[in-house]
Amino acid sequence: MSAAGHRDRCAISGIGATRFSSNSGRSTLSLAVEASLAAIADAGLRPSDVDGVVRCDMDAVAHNDLAQALGLPDLSYWGSSGPGGAAPGGMIGQAVGAVLSGQATTVVAFRSLNGRSGARFGRSGAVGGGGGGGAGRRPRPAGGRGTYDEFFFPYGLVAPGQLFSLLARRHMIEFGTTEEQLGHIALACRARANANPAAQMADRPLTMEDYLSARMISSPLRLFDYCLETDGACAVVVTSAERAADGPQPPALIRAVAQSAGPEPQFGFLFPTLLRDSLTTQTSKAVADALYRRAGLGPGDVDVAQFYDCFTITVLLQLEDYGFCAKGEGGPFAAGGAIDKGGSLPINTSGGHLSEGYIHGLNHIVEGVRQIRGTSTSQVPGAEVCLVTSGLPVTTSALVLRRAS
Amino acid sequence: MSAPPADRPPRLVPETSDPDTGGFFAAAAREELAVCACAACGAVLHPPRAYCAACGRWDTVWRTVSGRGRLYSWTTVEHQTHRAFPVPYTIVLVELDDAPGARLVGHLPGRPELEAGMPMRIWFEPVDDHGTLLPQWRPESTKAPVDGG
Repeated sequence: MSAAGHRDRCAISGIGATRFSSNSGRSTLSLAVEASLAAIADAGLRPSDVDGVVRCDMDAVAHNDLAQALGLPDLSYWGSSGPGGAAPGGMIGQAVGAVLSGQATTVVAFRSLNGRSGARFGRSGAVGGGGGGGAGRRPRPAGGRGTYDEFFFPYGLVAPGQLFSLLARRHMIEFGTTEEQLGHIALACRARANANPAAQMADRPLTMEDYLSARMISSPLRLFDYCLETDGACAVVVTSAERAADGPQPPALIRAVAQSAGPEPQFGFLFPTLLRDSLTTQTSKAVADALYRRAGLGPGDVDVAQFYDCFTITVLLQLEDYGFCAKGEGGPFAAGGAIDKGGSLPINTSGGHLSEGYIHGLNHIVEGVRQIRGTSTSQVPGAEVCLVTSGLPVTTSALVLRRAS
Repeated sequence: MSAPPADRPPRLVPETSDPDTGGFFAAAAREELAVCACAACGAVLHPPRAYCAACGRWDTVWRTVSGRGRLYSWTTVEHQTHRAFPVPYTIVLVELDDAPGARLVGHLPGRPELEAGMPMRIWFEPVDDHGTLLPQWRPESTKAPVDGG
């Protein structure tokens, strides 16, 4: 099979999302069920039509959990991808593989989390060291068991934002990138969220003055360089392009998917990636090369992009790695208006993780489908090709969605 | 060496008995900085591992290095996440002078004045009352803390 063996042969035929909030008061299973039911109905299907489920490896909801809760009569394919935010592109890839290989006909890919009210990054429950403090009692050591976190956690390097701050500082050292340039990414996402009633920051405008005067979290990254911790779920339905064409919605053809661990794969979940030769070229460079090759398209063909934006710097690195500007020029590119509505590459048109909500990259796919359908609250006129990326830096994945001609 | 004062939150101590990485902390307990290397081809294998993919051998050694490096990146943490680390503190990422490809992190209290590429030196901080020493970095121009800071 050629590199383009899956090109345009499957489609996303349904999308669904719950409300995004800071305290859902509901189980992650309930959130997953609500988003999945919405996606299935949007595709013009019933739960009994679904025979495959793909999840993120960090999701508390397992494939069989969702199958029972939805009442699926014949779950016969399941998969998971990761780690964490790197999953969504790979999840779609698994769904495509299952459909094209005959292992499934209709696959639900979902992500559900209580990311604000439930477990949060960097706390002792996630890192270790909790429960200590008694005289002579040794707290649970950090790392080991193949995690390599013993080289990082004991120094207070415990949260993803601290790692991305190290990447941002390095980008500033190598290329003179400024905090204000990062701010333009936060402002662009916020402006799109202000047009999206479903975004958590729908009613909260952001100015450069607000951005620069916000408290520092982990220098050089400030409050609004960080995404929102969110409770909520998203789901999509993947099926063959033929079946999708019979559905009620215009299909979003899956032009190409790609995953990559890059030429220098690294251990662990996050922090060992600080040992890569370059901190300013990420796995997204390798995934971009594979994705464009499989899609038969290049950055110049992309009308709109949904960049994984756990932090502003994550977007800046990807603007360069996906070839929208040269390495080192992400700052001036972002500050020059290219990423805004009406620019050459509008990004994160629902507000992204920074201002819509953090559903670990699944909401980026949902918004990518809206752009292809023409139903985004910040619709790019005539958008035919949408790039959707997933998280860094351990591994990453991405997909290209295309409007059927 | 002594345990941290009782009024401080307990330190987050590293796991020191992992079969692949324990040698790093065994060396640190002797106040030596050591990196894992392939005994056959000399490749530095950091993070430590037992198999050298460069030459296909299962024969590694712990190579003592100088404890000198250059500051590669840093961040000053202002938002408290883990109770063992009162803010502000600064995480440094250091490239080793004599082990290309290996980078190690360190912890400095407060908001020190730092500069990319500045020379850094290792010191060894007691982090529990079981003899665990944590390799730490400081700018070469500053003195090593004497009591585990």
